[in-house]
Amino acid sequence: MSGKERLSPEAQGYLDGEPAGDIGPEDRQAADQFEQAVQAYAGRLQTPDASVDRAVMAAVRAEARGPRRQSVWQWLVSPHPYSVRPALVAAAAVALIVLGRLLIDIPGIEFGDRPAQLAPEAQATILVRFELRAPDADRVTLAGSFNEWSPEGVELVRNSATGMWTATVPLEPGQHEYLFVIDGSQWIPDPNAHAQVDDGFGQANSVIVVGPRGVVRS
Amino acid sequence: MSEMGSQSDAVLVRRILAGEVELYQVLVERYRLEFGRYATAMLGGDVDDAADAQQEAFIRAYRSLASCREPEKFKAWLFRIVSNQCHNTRRGRRKHVRLDRVQDPPDESTQRQLEANEIGQAIQTALDDLTTEQREAFVLKHVEGYSYAEMAALLEVGEDALKMRVHRARDELQRRLEGLR
Repeated sequence: MSGKERLSPEAQGYLDGEPAGDIGPEDRQAADQFEQAVQAYAGRLQTPDASVDRAVMAAVRAEARGPRRQSVWQWLVSPHPYSVRPALVAAAAVALIVLGRLLIDIPGIEFGDRPAQLAPEAQATILVRFELRAPDADRVTLAGSFNEWSPEGVELVRNSATGMWTATVPLEPGQHEYLFVIDGSQWIPDPNAHAQVDDGFGQANSVIVVGPRGVVRS
Repeated sequence: MSEMGSQSDAVLVRRILAGEVELYQVLVERYRLEFGRYATAMLGGDVDDAADAQQEAFIRAYRSLASCREPEKFKAWLFRIVSNQCHNTRRGRRKHVRLDRVQDPPDESTQRQLEANEIGQAIQTALDDLTTEQREAFVLKHVEGYSYAEMAALLEVGEDALKMRVHRARDELQRRLEGLR
């Protein structure tokens, strides 16, 4: 091989695509050998297959089907008719003033220059990763209360080396029930779920609890 | 969907934001292929880890699409999300190349294949030992075949700085490759 542990500036320039006019034969050989080795390596790298597209689009569709994020804001700004007795208005005003004073006096809660916080609608869904080890399965999907129990809703991606199937799904905070569907017909609960509940038909559904900042229990 | 493949990123982004959610698949396929080998190389040669990282990155990108203020620069915007996800996945898993995951060309002799595997592993191991910036620059230049100008637009880093990163990466790889010879 070239016997050079470092590439000369001329060889570096040549590899950068500069004109080869000033490069000597040894440097040229070193650069060519380097390029050949790297191209052989690059040619053997694999690109993720189309199962990524399917998994992403299943999550995107689930997100698009869910309640629009603007709905919270729209609800807040839209008019809502209420009828309140005047005496209650006065009582409520007094209660608010008292509550405000109490909050000011509580250590750790400050008014004024508070750090910015995410608006509630920005935390509307949490990305949750589901995993199932099923080395013999040809296809695994996820069905649950969050996608109307559709076995076609969320497709998991196989890790051929470990036999693990995974999918990342946007879920709204709250409790959700779900099952994995193997090869389109075998419905099984998640062996790693913290809880299983009776589905009313003699089978168990897995349960996941999602909080506004992440998975609470899974 | 096929005629949508010729639509620019900016047009697709605007239409998706207007409610044509299914068009997101065009962008996903486009950039799964465009950034696919980058993700695999950045994650120790493991295509399954790359698939996981791409999946999470594309979902995050969809959720943040409204914050892509310059749809004309969607590619650079998405690349930053994919790149960050690869870094996060890498930090979380810390894997090195596994030879059984490298695709074998069918027409190589066993001896040549062993040599190619050895060189491939040496390159991946050397890449894994580089700094993140050097590894990223090298992969974009030599695996994805980007020009320095394209890399500068993608990474928002000057061309001279990128050349320096690539040169240092090459020196380290050359040192490892010479160790095999």
